[in-house]
Amino acid sequence: MRISRYVVMALAWVLALGISGLAFAQETVTLQVWTGSSSPAENEAKEAQFAAFEEANPNIDLEVLISPDYGTQIQAAFASGDYPDVFTVGQFDFPSLQDSGVLMPAGDNIENPDDIYPGLLAAFSDAEGNAFCVPKDFSTLALFYNTDLFDAAGVDYPTADWTWEDMYAAAEAITNSDAVPEGVVGFSAAADRNRWLGFLYGNGATIAGEDGMSTVNSPEAVAALEFYASFVANGVGALPSELNGAGWNGQAFGEGSAAMTIEGNWAIGYLENDFPELNWGVAEIPLSPAGTRGTLTFTECWAVGANTEHPEEAWALVNFLTGTEGAMTVATSGFGVMPARMSAAQAWLDTRGEEYAAFVAGGEYAVAPVFPLGYGDFTTAFDEGTTAVMAGEESAQDFLDEVAEIWNEITEENM
Amino acid sequence: MATNAAAAPKVQQLPKAPFSSNEKVQQAISGIVFVAPALVILVVFLIVPLFVAGYFSLTDWNGRTPLTNPDAYELVGLENYERLLVSGRRVDDFYNAFKNTLYYAIGVIPAQTVIALVLATIVNQKWLRGRGFFRTAFYFPSITSSIVVSMIFLFLFSNTGPVNGALRALFPNYQQVSWLTDNNGVIHNILGVVGIQENTFTVLAETEIARISLWDWLSGPSVAMFTIMLLAIWTTIGTMMVVYLAALQNIPPQVYEAAAVDGATQWQAFRRITLPLLRPTTYFVVTLGLIGCFQVFDQIYILRDEQTRQTTMSVAYLVYDTAFNLGDPQMGRAAATAVTLFIIIFVATILQRRFIGDRPADS
Repeated sequence: MRISRYVVMALAWVLALGISGLAFAQETVTLQVWTGSSSPAENEAKEAQFAAFEEANPNIDLEVLISPDYGTQIQAAFASGDYPDVFTVGQFDFPSLQDSGVLMPAGDNIENPDDIYPGLLAAFSDAEGNAFCVPKDFSTLALFYNTDLFDAAGVDYPTADWTWEDMYAAAEAITNSDAVPEGVVGFSAAADRNRWLGFLYGNGATIAGEDGMSTVNSPEAVAALEFYASFVANGVGALPSELNGAGWNGQAFGEGSAAMTIEGNWAIGYLENDFPELNWGVAEIPLSPAGTRGTLTFTECWAVGANTEHPEEAWALVNFLTGTEGAMTVATSGFGVMPARMSAAQAWLDTRGEEYAAFVAGGEYAVAPVFPLGYGDFTTAFDEGTTAVMAGEESAQDFLDEVAEIWNEITEENM
Repeated sequence: MATNAAAAPKVQQLPKAPFSSNEKVQQAISGIVFVAPALVILVVFLIVPLFVAGYFSLTDWNGRTPLTNPDAYELVGLENYERLLVSGRRVDDFYNAFKNTLYYAIGVIPAQTVIALVLATIVNQKWLRGRGFFRTAFYFPSITSSIVVSMIFLFLFSNTGPVNGALRALFPNYQQVSWLTDNNGVIHNILGVVGIQENTFTVLAETEIARISLWDWLSGPSVAMFTIMLLAIWTTIGTMMVVYLAALQNIPPQVYEAAAVDGATQWQAFRRITLPLLRPTTYFVVTLGLIGCFQVFDQIYILRDEQTRQTTMSVAYLVYDTAFNLGDPQMGRAAATAVTLFIIIFVATILQRRFIGDRPADS
């Protein structure tokens, strides 16, 4: 086979261009950025942010991957040791990722850390309080209430002084009211620890004490779960699947099968889109017998990979995305999530509406319901037990005693 | 003349080798070259991962720490297997998943084999008009994406979906069944109709194998799992039907004519001629069904609900859940589960071969 001279010339050109291209490329820094895909609108907003960064920093090139199967893809990347420079980390993934050593400690690299809600930063710090990544947004839980059903039953709307008793009384009144359609209950209660743990924290209970021993079966904790389960047990509330087969609280609430529910700010967009005729309001989670209230937060952060070759540029990108300006972008873009910085909170309310102040207020006292690394067995037992208690198959005390034992076993094993 | 006669046969008698050794080598090389791509893919994507998984099942790697990190994992020998099967805190996880998968297999394999055979026999009949249409219609579910079909079943069997609606229209006293979220075992429900509850025979409630009481072992698939089984059967009968159809068409019609001459009825002909002749096909169909059922994942992934976590967990899903768990991934334990599943399927296939497989002494 004789290679024609034209092919040789073409190869020479390609080689020459390639080498010269390489020379140019050495002047710019390329960062690999990975994140998960959500709705098309959010993906576009993220890409706009990346484009803005590239414009402001002409010597930094971003190779962006917005992946629909982010979790599996990035786990494979971590395992091989070839992971991106900047990527998102969810709060539930954080403990194991921090332990795996793939996250670079933030040190002093965070822009104005006092502006970030302390609870969020704590979710992404290790036991000594060293932050590893910067929260980019968060969501909290609050009490949704259907104003039409409340009006029909003649019950006053929830206020900031509402207690657990008030909430139960309202649910009872609405369920038993004749003016309310048959089958409508006062409260849609999902059998999900990420919905009821807020009551546990609000009552002053914790999962474990300073010594590592579990306090999850303390009287306050048992009272919290009993309160949450009492709605379903006494018929003034129901699981979403029992309310016309709803897939989640939001659907049950939107369809008008429940007068109240506990959900997060992600439900705002869903309700506005799918149930525009529904009239509803939001209040903070009611006060517990201990006089305090608690809610849960779900947050994500931007992290820098531990083995990045360009730490300075990577942190510059992270600060761009999560700094004061970045937080403003999140606030004004109109998505369900709230910016992680207190300075941008008002901007979010201005864009979304003042009526959602309950979510923002939750940011001050919300707890991220993340269990430490190594407690996987505890988490599984906790979820199974929650389902059993909500189905009426087990008492709250028995369940919490069981899981407290499991927690203590794990703690002792690791000591 | 004599020399000629002697010479000619000599030349003719020497058998010329069909190929010279050089050509043999060339043939060998081209053979290898043709097989190489498929062989390479098989080795790289099937054989090597098998051994790598086996290796990692002996470590405590969590699947996240980069392997380039020197202390990413430690070799812990058979500890993963021990914790999985014998003494772990959540040892009932595996046995529960195994129980679910077993009931799934017991339900799906006979159903899909029998129905596929029936359909193939029907489609093979000469008197059937529009055979091409029926063949396509029966085969169609098998070629649609299992994810799409699962989502449609999600809608069909939802509490307010068409299935419940139709049952309510047919039976006015129908008490609504939550097809996808009901955790009660089907056998438990049947026994309950007859009045047998968990405590009727205390020995059932109290004896425990691997932390699961005997009563729970006898629960049968849950209603939710039962719905998933319906889905699986519906999707796979098409493929099995095609296999049976090919085998049926291979049987020469003279055999049936001879049987008719001997005075055999249709049913006798079916039982004594068709079925035995189909034995190799049945063996093939059952083996495929066995492997597919023990590995069930797609349908579980789509149709499962948080509420039915315990009763719809299959072993393959347990592998996925352990490996990619949000808070506490355990790749080592997941690999051990996968290897255990492999051993189970292997043993089941060998057992199956003894009962249904080719027996040369049997004609």
